[in-house]
Amino acid sequence: MAKKALVVKAKELKTDVAVVKDFEVSIGRIIDETWTEPVGPTPFPSITDLREWDFKLLHRYKPMYMPFCDLCCLCTFGKCDLTQEKRGACGLNMAAQQSRIVLLACCIGAATHLGHARHMVEHVIEKFGRRYPLDVGGVNVQLEAPITRLVCGIRPRTLGDLEDVLDYLEDQVTHLLSATHTGQEGSNLDFESKVFHAGMVDHVALEVADIAQIAAYSFPKADPQAPLVELGYGTIDTHKPVIMVVGHNVISSIGIIDYLKENDLYADVEVTGLCCTAHDTTRYSSRAKIVGPISWQLRFIRSGIPDVIVLDEQCIRADTMLEAKKIKAPVIVTSDKNCQGLQNRTNDPADEIVADLVNGKVPGVLILNSEKAGEVASRTALEIAPKRKKLKIVPSVKGIIEAAKKCKLCNDCTRACPEGLPIPEAMREAATGNVQMLADLYETCVGCGRCESACPNDFSIHSFIIATAGNILKEEKFKIQAGRGAIQDVEIRNVGSPIVLGEIPGVVAFVGCANYPHGGKEVAEMCKEFADRRYIIVLSGCSAMSAAMYKDEEGKTLYEKYPGDFDAGGIVNVGSCVANSHIAGAAIKIANIFAKRNLRANYEEIADYIYNRVGAVGVAWGAMSQKAAAIASGCWRLGVPVIVGPHGSKYRRMLLGRKDNEKDWYVYDARTGDRVYVGPVPEHLFYTVETKEEAIVMVAKLCMRANDTSKGRAIKLTHYIDLHKRLYNTMPDDIHLFVRTGADIPITMKEEILDILEKKGWKEGWIPDPTLLPRLIRKRKE
Amino acid sequence: MSMFEGIPVDVGVIYEGERIRRQDMHVELGGPDQKTKFELVRVKGLDVVEDGKITVVGPDIKDMKEGSSHPFGIYVEVAGKGVEEELEGVIERRIHEYCNFIEGFMHLNQRYDIWLRLHKKSFGKGLNSFNLIAKVLQRLFKSELSFIEKIQITFFTDPKRVKEMYDEALKVYEARDAKARGMKDEEVETFYGCTLCQSFAPTHVCVITPQRYSNCGSISWFDGRASARVDPKGPVFEVQKGELIDSEKGEFSGVNEAAKKKTLGAVNRVWLYTGFGYPHTSCGCFEAVAFYIPEVEGFGIVHRGFKEVTVNGLPFSTLADSTAGGRQVDGFHGISIEYMRSPKFLQADGGWNRVVWMPATVKERVKDFMPKEIADKIATENEAKTVDELKAFLKAQEHPVVQTWKEIPVEVAPEMEEAAVPTIPLPTTAIAAGGFKIILKNAKIHAERLIIRREKEKR
Repeated sequence: MAKKALVVKAKELKTDVAVVKDFEVSIGRIIDETWTEPVGPTPFPSITDLREWDFKLLHRYKPMYMPFCDLCCLCTFGKCDLTQEKRGACGLNMAAQQSRIVLLACCIGAATHLGHARHMVEHVIEKFGRRYPLDVGGVNVQLEAPITRLVCGIRPRTLGDLEDVLDYLEDQVTHLLSATHTGQEGSNLDFESKVFHAGMVDHVALEVADIAQIAAYSFPKADPQAPLVELGYGTIDTHKPVIMVVGHNVISSIGIIDYLKENDLYADVEVTGLCCTAHDTTRYSSRAKIVGPISWQLRFIRSGIPDVIVLDEQCIRADTMLEAKKIKAPVIVTSDKNCQGLQNRTNDPADEIVADLVNGKVPGVLILNSEKAGEVASRTALEIAPKRKKLKIVPSVKGIIEAAKKCKLCNDCTRACPEGLPIPEAMREAATGNVQMLADLYETCVGCGRCESACPNDFSIHSFIIATAGNILKEEKFKIQAGRGAIQDVEIRNVGSPIVLGEIPGVVAFVGCANYPHGGKEVAEMCKEFADRRYIIVLSGCSAMSAAMYKDEEGKTLYEKYPGDFDAGGIVNVGSCVANSHIAGAAIKIANIFAKRNLRANYEEIADYIYNRVGAVGVAWGAMSQKAAAIASGCWRLGVPVIVGPHGSKYRRMLLGRKDNEKDWYVYDARTGDRVYVGPVPEHLFYTVETKEEAIVMVAKLCMRANDTSKGRAIKLTHYIDLHKRLYNTMPDDIHLFVRTGADIPITMKEEILDILEKKGWKEGWIPDPTLLPRLIRKRKE
Repeated sequence: MSMFEGIPVDVGVIYEGERIRRQDMHVELGGPDQKTKFELVRVKGLDVVEDGKITVVGPDIKDMKEGSSHPFGIYVEVAGKGVEEELEGVIERRIHEYCNFIEGFMHLNQRYDIWLRLHKKSFGKGLNSFNLIAKVLQRLFKSELSFIEKIQITFFTDPKRVKEMYDEALKVYEARDAKARGMKDEEVETFYGCTLCQSFAPTHVCVITPQRYSNCGSISWFDGRASARVDPKGPVFEVQKGELIDSEKGEFSGVNEAAKKKTLGAVNRVWLYTGFGYPHTSCGCFEAVAFYIPEVEGFGIVHRGFKEVTVNGLPFSTLADSTAGGRQVDGFHGISIEYMRSPKFLQADGGWNRVVWMPATVKERVKDFMPKEIADKIATENEAKTVDELKAFLKAQEHPVVQTWKEIPVEVAPEMEEAAVPTIPLPTTAIAAGGFKIILKNAKIHAERLIIRREKEKR
C-alpha cells in the first residue's frame, strides 16, 4: 500500500485508431490484497463500531467514580458544583464529567504517542524511504504488527504503509476529543466506551512508533538474548564529558551517537539517558547507559555530572532549564512539542551554536534537526566539560545540619510530598547531627521536588536527601537487558497452550511510570515473587528500569538471574513505553498464531478470546501520566485487567466487578449455546491497591479466566490461596466462587477446601467453551 | 483443617520448581554419587496392602550425617478395585511431582535415576523422618487418584537392601517397557480421546492409542486410561474402537463417531496412520509437523525447537500455521516425537521410507526406531538446505522415494510477485477493433483505490 501510487499523464498520443489528448490517470491508493485472510467486521473502526463490545464489559465492570475534583471548570458557566446529584449548567452530572475527564486524559495520552509515532515514521521515511521493509524479528516474527492488523485490517509491510495507519489514528483522536466539548455526550457509559476507543487507538500508535524504529534502526529484533546494558548513576565514567538525554523520542539521541561514532569520539563521551529515550538509546547502542527512571532527573542534574542536557519530548521536567542553569550545563531542546522558550537555531551553522553554548552566551537552543542536534550536543559536551568541572549544587552535610536547625517543622513539605515522606522528622533528627533519617528517604523519594516549592525557608530539601545519601547514588551499578522488542511467533506457540489451559498461571506486565508509593524496589520484589512462581513477567518503561535496581545475595539483578524468554519464569524487558505494544501484541498473537482465530479487523472476537482465556494482568505500580491512562484503556478493551498503585485512584474511577452479583458472571458455552455461570473471572478490570501485598494477591486472583482447565485452575488457585495466606494470614473468603468442579481443587488443599465449599453451600458446575459473543456459538454440522 | 496437619513444612505446587544447591542440602538421596537408587510402584491385592503403613529400612533422615549422600529407594504398594497393573507407570510418575510439592525437598528424574535433596532449612523445621514424607505422599496419592483405596510405603536406605530392591525394580521396569512397546492398537478395544486443546482448536480431538501418543507428546495410552478413570467428567475420555474400516490407514468406526460427536460434526472421518486424505487433526501444541514436499514426493519433519528455516524455505511457525487449529490438512500433519517411534508412524504413506528430511537433533532422538537402512538416506539441515540440494542428496543416497520420481512433475507453486506500482501501458494500438476511431480529449480517470487481489489458483 502506498500513497499517490500512480499518476500517468499524456499530453497527446496518436495512433491509427485513437487520438488521445490530455489524458490523465491517477490512482490515490493501491491496496495490496495479497493478504488472503478475510477482512473481519471492523476494519478501521469508528468511535462507535465497538461500542457494543465495550458495553458488554462495562456491564460487568461498572465504573466506580472517585472524583479527584468535584467541580467542572471547563466553560465560562462554571465553576459548576457537581456534588450530591447536582448537574452543571450544561446538564452534565458527576459520573459523566468524571468519565469525560478520563477521556480527555486518554486523548492526551493517545495524541502524545501518536505525535511521537508520526514524527518517527516521517523521520525514518525521510532517511530510509517509504519502501523500507518492516522487519521486526526476521523469520521468527511473521506477524509484525498484530495490533495494527487487528484494528485496521491491513498488513503493513513497509514504512510507507504506516502512514495510512497514522492518518486513521489522527482522525479518531480528533473525533474523540471533539466529544468532550461542552454540551455533547451526556452518558458516562458512552464516555467510557470512547475511553476504550482512545486506548485502542493508543495501542496502535505505540505499535507503529516501535516497529518503525525497530526496523529502521535495527534495535534488537524480538531477541530473548538482547545484550545486557549498564544502568545506574554509578556506572557512568564521570571523568568523561557526559551528555544527558531525557524524554521518549530517541531520534535526537541517535543523532548524537551517530555523530560520535562517525567522528571516532564515542569512547571519549558518555551518552546517558533517563526515561524511555534511555531505553531506546541502549536498544540502538549497547554502550549507551541508563541513569534511571524519570524520578532521577533532579538528582542527576544536581549532581553536576551532565555537561550537556538534551531534551526531546514527554515526561521531562518543565523546570529543566532552571535546574540546568544552576550547574551551568547548556540545554538543547529538539522537539517541536517542547521548545522551552528557546531560540530556534536549526538553520544556524553548528560552529556558531556550539560557541554560543560553550561561552554561556545562551543557556540553551532549539534545534529541530537531529543530525545537527547530535553534532552540537557532542561538540559542546567536549568543549564545555573542562570548563564546568562537574559543577554541582548539592550542599555539604555540615550545611544541611545547620539548615536543619532553622527548620520550622511546619510540615508543609510532608503535605506537599506525593508519598507523604516524614521530612520534618528527618530534619529534626538532622538538627541533632544525625542525617541518617534524611538519607533513608532516598529510597522512597520520587524526585518531584514539591517539598522544596512548599518550604517557607526555601531549603533545597531534595538536595539534602541526595547529599546525605551520596554513597547510595554512587553505588547504583546495575545491569538491565536492552529492550528486546516483539515476542517471537515461536515463543507464542510454545506458551500458547500452557497459558490458555492455565498451566502457566499468568502473564504479568509491570509497566508505567515511577510514582511509586514506597520506591521502585517493590516492583523488583513483585517481579521476583511471580517469576519464582513460574509466571511470565514482562516489563517496559520506568518499571523495567526499577526492576533492574535490585540485586540478590549474589549481586545479580533480575535480568541477570532470570532468562529473557517469553516463557514461564522469564523476565522480559520489551523496551520503552511504545514497546508496550508488544505486550498487548503477544496476547493478540496467542489468539491468532496459536488458536488460529482470524485477526484481520476482527477486534471483538480476539478481545473475547483474550478476555476469557489469556490470564494476563497489567500492573502500573507508579502510573502517573495520561499516557499510562491511555495504555491501560487499551488493555481494558482487549479484556486485560489492570492494577494500579495508590496514586492510580487519581485516575478518577475504577472498573469493578461485583462478585456477589451472580447474574453478572454468565457466559455462553460456544459448544452448546447454554448460558453458564463461570464465577467472577477476572473479578475487576481496573483496580487500585494500597500496598505491594495487596497488589500481589490481586494479580494472582485476576489471572483466573473462564477457560482455565481444571489443572490450570488448581494451579492458579494454589497461588492465590498461598499468597493470601502468606500476606494476609487468612484464607480468602471467595474460594467457592472459583471452584467449578471438584477437579479444580488444588490437591494439596483438598480437605481444607472441601470443608469451605460445604459451608458455603457450593454446587458443582461445568467448564464451558466460554464467550460473551452469541455469534460465536458453534452450529452443529450434519 | 489442613490435610497436612502434623507436617512441619509447607506442601504446595509452588515449591515445584525449587532447586537445592549442594551447600544448602542436609542430605542427598540417590543422585549421581549413588549407583543404586530407585522408585517403584506395584499394584497389589486389597488383602496384601495395609493402608497407611510406613516402613523405613535402614537409617532414617535424623540418623544421617549432615551433607551425606545415600543409596535410596522408594517402594509404593497400592491396592484398589479400579487399580490395574497397567497403571503402575502412571502412578509411579506422581512420586516426582508430589515430592517436589514438599517445601525444601527436591526430586529429579525418575525410576533408577532419582536424585533427591533435603534442604537444611526444612530439616531445621523438623522434617527429619521419612515417616513425614510418606504421610504427605499417601495423602496426595489418595487425594488425587481416587481409585487408590490402600497404600503402603517403604523407604530403603540400607545399602544392601537398596541393592536387592534395585535389582528387582530394574526387572519390573524392563518388563513394563517391553509390554508397553509391544502393545499394539489391535490388542485393545478402547482408545482414549482428549479435547483439552479445544479451547484453541475447537475442532480438534486427539485420539490416543497404544501406538499413537497425543500430539503434545505428554499423554500415552496409559496416561489416558488413568485420567479417564480419575476424572470421568474431564477432558480425557474413552473411545470404543468399534469396527475396523481400514487397517492400513487406521480408520475405525468408533473413532469416527467420537470425532464427529466431539467436533460437532466438523470432523467426521479420521485416518490415524497417514498424513493424507483424512489425517488426524492438528491442535496447536503438537511437538512437530510432518509436511509433504511435492517436489520430492516425501515428507519433511520439523520440530518446535528448530530455529532455522526448513528445506522448503519455511520455518516451523509457518508450517505449523498451515495445519494448526483443529484442521485436517492434506499433507500437513501435527505429530508428537513419540509417534515417530511407533511402527504405525505414517504407515499408510510408506512410514520412514517416505521421510526425506528432518533436523539433526530430532533425527538423533528417534534414530533407533528407524529401519537401519533408511537412517542415512534421510537428509538433515547439514546435508540439504534447499529442495534442489535435497533432490541431489536423495538421488545420491538412493532414497526409496527416488523410485517414484519417474515422471517428475514440474510443479513449483508460483509466488505472487509483490504488488509493485503498476504501470498501465497507454494505448498504442486500437482500443477497440472495428472500423472506427476513438478520440479521448481531456480524459481524466481517477481511482481513489485500486485493490490488487491474489487470484485463487485454478485447479
